Amino acid sequence: MQPTRALQALRYRKLRLTTKDVNKGFYKGTRTGSMGRHTKYGGYIIEWEKVRTYVCPDLTDFKLTPFVTMNMRKTFGQYESAAGPKDPAVYLARWKAENGLD
Amino acid sequence: MATSGAIRPSMGSAVRAAQLSGLLTAVARPPASPFLASTTQTAGLSTTTSLLKRHTYAGARDNRDHSKKRGESALRRTGTRWRLSMSDEPLPRPVPKEKLPPVETDPDHGLWDFFYDRETVVNTPQEDAKHGRGWSVEELRHKSWDDLHRLWWVCVKERNRISTANYERRKSRLGFGDAEAKGRDREVRVTMRGIKHVLTERFYAWEDAKKLAETDPEVDLSGEGVAYTPMEYLEEEEVLLEEQTEAAEAQLEGHETQQEGKASGPAAVDPSTLPSEQTSREAPRI
Repeated sequence: MQPTRALQALRYRKLRLTTKDVNKGFYKGTRTGSMGRHTKYGGYIIEWEKVRTYVCPDLTDFKLTPFVTMNMRKTFGQYESAAGPKDPAVYLARWKAENGLD
Repeated sequence: MATSGAIRPSMGSAVRAAQLSGLLTAVARPPASPFLASTTQTAGLSTTTSLLKRHTYAGARDNRDHSKKRGESALRRTGTRWRLSMSDEPLPRPVPKEKLPPVETDPDHGLWDFFYDRETVVNTPQEDAKHGRGWSVEELRHKSWDDLHRLWWVCVKERNRISTANYERRKSRLGFGDAEAKGRDREVRVTMRGIKHVLTERFYAWEDAKKLAETDPEVDLSGEGVAYTPMEYLEEEEVLLEEQTEAAEAQLEGHETQQEGKASGPAAVDPSTLPSEQTSREAPRI
């Protein structure tokens, strides 16, 4: 089976390839990620370290909601340096104060 | 057979055919029928089509019902026309919906979390619109990892609820509410974006701080010994605080015997307000 003559003309050659195009050698993923590796016999071995897992913590007695009251405006932080919250010196100083001496 | 005058009608056509072929004798000839009046053949085995017809009596009418399933209808539930082997057996009848036993549901089932309310399937748009704003990034920066993790999953569940309501509204054609749901969903997504931003920022800051700590003389990242050794001693305020708490504890023990009979309450003195009696001293932290 072949595509229609219209698609076989020059214009189709410029379209982006899909997973269904080209006989061999062309692989196009679908953004699901690699879950393992292929074997030389054509099979596939799943590597469970690569498989994603979803960890949902215990939500009992958790009071926070996705929303904040409208009576309070958005808060913005005040930082001394230009880097602000990303400043590594601030991070290090805080670590020393809170966590340095156990 | 040859002597009897009366022959069965079913044999009649065969007998007549045999007669013509000359197999039967003249004595045993059966009574002649009007159909045979015209036959003049005396030789050969050919038979006419009339002789092959089924015998019908004179004046007989075709009373057959040419349709065996006449009147049978599944839609109108007529039943079969003829008796079947199962006609006398009592077949089970379906129970009407009202008399069926009620479906048992587990009140603690996890799927209930996909709905706001168990009685009503979907919230009204007015109820959906009653939500606040999403968390700002600065507000999330003060939260711990555990809090952010749990808040993320609370947001995921909320978005699932919104999505279920959208689907139900469309499927059951309940009406408007998509716009309010979209607004609610947007605020939840704002919160989720903030959580991701905070965690990424914290990680990058940690990486940069680790790099900075390699050049810091107070920090030892080798893994042997203490990680942080401060160069300076305690600041004055912290020393004063330490002394005050120690003095307060000593005074409490001393005054216990004096204050046995007195009632506690407004008469009790807050030990932290008492002045320290010990002189200041330098206390190395290590």
